[in-house]
Amino acid sequence: MKHDSGFDLPQGTLDLLILKVVAHGPIHGYAIAQRIRQMSRNALEVQQGSLYPALHRLEYKKYLNADWKLTETGREARFYRLTSRGKAHLESETASWERLTEIVGLILQGSPGEA
Amino acid sequence: MSWWRRLFAGKRMDRDLDRELLFHFEQQVADKMCAGLSEQQARRQTRLEFGGVEQVKEDCRESRGTMWAWSVLQDLRHAMRQLRKSPAFAITAIVTLALGIGANTAIFTLVQQILLRSLPVTNPSRLIRVGDKDDCCFFDSFENDDGDFDLFSYDLYLHLQQSAPEFEQLAAVEAGGDRFSARVGSEPGKLLRSEYVSGNYFTTLGVGTYLGRPLGENDDRPGAPPALVLSYASWQADFAADPGIVGSTVYLGTHPFTVAGVAAPGFFGDRIVSFPPEMWLPLSTEPLFEGGNSSLNQKDTDWLYLLGRVRVGTNQKALATRLSEAMQQWFLTRPNYTGHGRAAEIPRQHVVLSSAGGGIQKLQQQTGTGLRLLMALSSVVLLIACANIANLLLARGAARRSEIAVRMALGAPQGRVVRQILTESVVLSLIGGFAGLLVAYFGSQMILALAFPQSRNMPVHASPSLPVLGFAFLISLFTGIFFGAAPAWASSHAQPAEALRGVNRATRDRSSLPQKSLVVFQVALSVVLLAGALMMTRSLFHLEHQNLGIVTSNSYEIIIDPKEAGYTVDRLPALYRELENRFSALPGMAHVSFARYVPLGGNEWGSCVVQQGQPAPGPSDQCFSDWNRVSRNFLDSIGVPILRGRGFSAQDVTGSQPVALVNESFAKHFFPRQDPVGKHFGMDAQNSGMFEIVGVFADFKMANPRSEPRPAFLRPLGQQYPGLKNPNDAAGEAASLYLNSIVLNFARPQRDAETLVRRTLAAIDPGLTIFHFESYDAEVAGNYTQDRLIARLTGIFGGLALILASVGLYGVLSYFVARRTSEIGVRMAMGASRSRVISMVLRGALSQVLIGLALGIPVALFAGRSMTSLLYKVSDADPIAFLGAVSVLALCALAAAFLPARRAAAIDPMQALRTE
Repeated sequence: MKHDSGFDLPQGTLDLLILKVVAHGPIHGYAIAQRIRQMSRNALEVQQGSLYPALHRLEYKKYLNADWKLTETGREARFYRLTSRGKAHLESETASWERLTEIVGLILQGSPGEA
Repeated sequence: MSWWRRLFAGKRMDRDLDRELLFHFEQQVADKMCAGLSEQQARRQTRLEFGGVEQVKEDCRESRGTMWAWSVLQDLRHAMRQLRKSPAFAITAIVTLALGIGANTAIFTLVQQILLRSLPVTNPSRLIRVGDKDDCCFFDSFENDDGDFDLFSYDLYLHLQQSAPEFEQLAAVEAGGDRFSARVGSEPGKLLRSEYVSGNYFTTLGVGTYLGRPLGENDDRPGAPPALVLSYASWQADFAADPGIVGSTVYLGTHPFTVAGVAAPGFFGDRIVSFPPEMWLPLSTEPLFEGGNSSLNQKDTDWLYLLGRVRVGTNQKALATRLSEAMQQWFLTRPNYTGHGRAAEIPRQHVVLSSAGGGIQKLQQQTGTGLRLLMALSSVVLLIACANIANLLLARGAARRSEIAVRMALGAPQGRVVRQILTESVVLSLIGGFAGLLVAYFGSQMILALAFPQSRNMPVHASPSLPVLGFAFLISLFTGIFFGAAPAWASSHAQPAEALRGVNRATRDRSSLPQKSLVVFQVALSVVLLAGALMMTRSLFHLEHQNLGIVTSNSYEIIIDPKEAGYTVDRLPALYRELENRFSALPGMAHVSFARYVPLGGNEWGSCVVQQGQPAPGPSDQCFSDWNRVSRNFLDSIGVPILRGRGFSAQDVTGSQPVALVNESFAKHFFPRQDPVGKHFGMDAQNSGMFEIVGVFADFKMANPRSEPRPAFLRPLGQQYPGLKNPNDAAGEAASLYLNSIVLNFARPQRDAETLVRRTLAAIDPGLTIFHFESYDAEVAGNYTQDRLIARLTGIFGGLALILASVGLYGVLSYFVARRTSEIGVRMAMGASRSRVISMVLRGALSQVLIGLALGIPVALFAGRSMTSLLYKVSDADPIAFLGAVSVLALCALAAAFLPARRAAAIDPMQALRTE
């Protein structure tokens, strides 16, 4: 996974971010990329080479549904929605992500002498 | 949506993906324009950022899980395009494969139909035969040296049936078979094959009828009204599928039978034979035809096979033991088995149970070795064909190296390139396999016609069945992968950079190693096939050109059945006199003679021999001799000379001294170092003075053309021995007066002997049916049918292998010369002579051929050993066959190598260097 900010997203993280963005309501691929960039304050730039395979993978796993709908500008775009399965997956993944960062943080902040 | 539906919805999904990415692209362009770029700039920048759209699409497909199947489809389309582009290659490969796969499928069709098939009955896996060998047709003593019993008498059958409750049903069927002329009303008789079966036969097999009812226990009781069941095939062919036949009366000879039913359509009996029975008769009707000589009523005549359905969960070992014990008990009650020290043999007697799901293994035992040999040979042919196609593909791969290199440089993964090449070879082999099915159909039809020339309603068909189709498919797939592997391996090691540098030149070419190995492999296999083919051909030659001891040219054998036509013993002399007179009067007739059995006609009869005054022979004494009853001039009609004493005369009749002629083997065996003329012998100890030997005739082969002549004696037509006390023996003696074979020996070749004979016979008695008419030459040749078939097929396979291997060698050397054109040019410019160039190319060929021979000869020796049982007077390491195979192969290799060598020598150094 490549992006301009110069660091690699850990494996599977992009899926989590996409699910989170889609959780706010139906949204098309381009807007997902934009939203991720805005929310990360321009730190993360998701390339379509990573984005679309990820979207199709999530759709294949039935975490997402997709429909063709009109955008505000009157163009047709493919809008993604979170399924109930996707919602459950997002919740459990978020929880484990939080747990992971907490543990990693503990270790990184602590000094070896405390152990 | 399951993945295969997504795959077929693939087109729409691809369109969706296009639209989705286009939307993304346009949106990005629009944003950039909002930020102040011109449309042109915005588009250019976006395109740069976007990168490879195709790559994105491919990744999306992959994450959808359809990538695999999608790329297979793509590979298939690509493969078809490639094949269309080079039709000459495609056709060569497909024809080669069709022959290879066709040969295999043809043989497999027979293997499947004969060796692997189950009887079309209920639950065939629960059918068990008591016995395992194909002994036939009548025995009256211990059967095999190891005590194995396969044939049973009726009395023994009933005894075993009572002592083995493990059998739900135990049926008995006639081991041999008979033919009857069957008449309905005043229509002319039709010859139908029959088999006697016990009343529970149809119940045991679980087979029903198409019309009417099957035979039942009530039909198989003494005195029951005679009934029969017709086979479906016979009902269709011989009775015009007339449903009215059920319940009506059919005369078998002079005996009326009621047609109880017509058997189920697929049912052909309890074994696969080239002449399946056309009707089944209850055992109880056998005495109707055989009278006092009936086997049914003779407690010691073994003539039945036993076939039963066991209960689920039966322990077969325990059952075999129980049956063996019951049989031994029964022997103890029979003087035939206890007298003359034979009782000591009883504990060794036993039965072996064999699975009968495929029926009684008769044809299987007769053809099994041959079929397995052919299966092995045809797969070797296929391997050689595969090697050839692998070579073709390797050469093509070399020509396509730059194409593959470009594809790999553009990022095609190695695995994908390998799969692409394998797909191409599998497509090729599947097309070849399809064409092979056609070859197989005609091939197996031809083999069946050659192997069973006079079969009727034979339940073995050439048309491909489901297992055969499956076999052809699998073998095609296997060959595709097999011959595709080497080229795929070679191309996967292509170095893109090296190949792109591009000049197709080489001095040492490592990629030709697999090609050379393939040629070595082909040479090795070809030697095996050629040696095998030569051995079989030589064996057949020895068989066909051996001295059988009889002269058969311009002779015909006719079989009639006077007993069935209603002739009693007292009317026989007049009948034979009449036949002899009428046939002798035909123009050009040299000899007319009668015999119970003719030599090499497929039947024989024999008995134990006791020299006068000797005690009965013990169980281990070789007392067996063929015996035959013949008319006075029989030996003349088959060209056998009398060596000592006299032939039969008109005075050798009932009432005068019973006489016999014996052959040399008989004299040597029973009267060693004595003059047998004037000596007496008999068929048992009580009557050991029965016959006086009046002459000795030259040995000839009676039944098996492969074995040495056995002792045999002849008795004259019509001379009955009056002193037999035992009613069974007396009945047998009376039955022996019926001579069913007529030998007609003409002085010169006849145009249409059959019409002449039929007309003559009809004038004597229209009630006499001709059961068999054949020229004696053809009759004898019939003994070698299987040998001839195997020799021909191995010959075809060997020739095919030779051609394929030569083409393979030629191809590799041509390729080698083409690749090294510039090197050879340089060599010649430096002063190498043309003969040196030729010898350089030939040396290359020679080494491959020599390695191939070194590998092939040991394999051929090993293969020869497995063929021993099929060979006649040819050793399994026959030096002539091996020398022949090696020299034929060497000659063909030389010819195949010489053309490219000459081409190499014709290279113009200037021309070659200019291409540098």
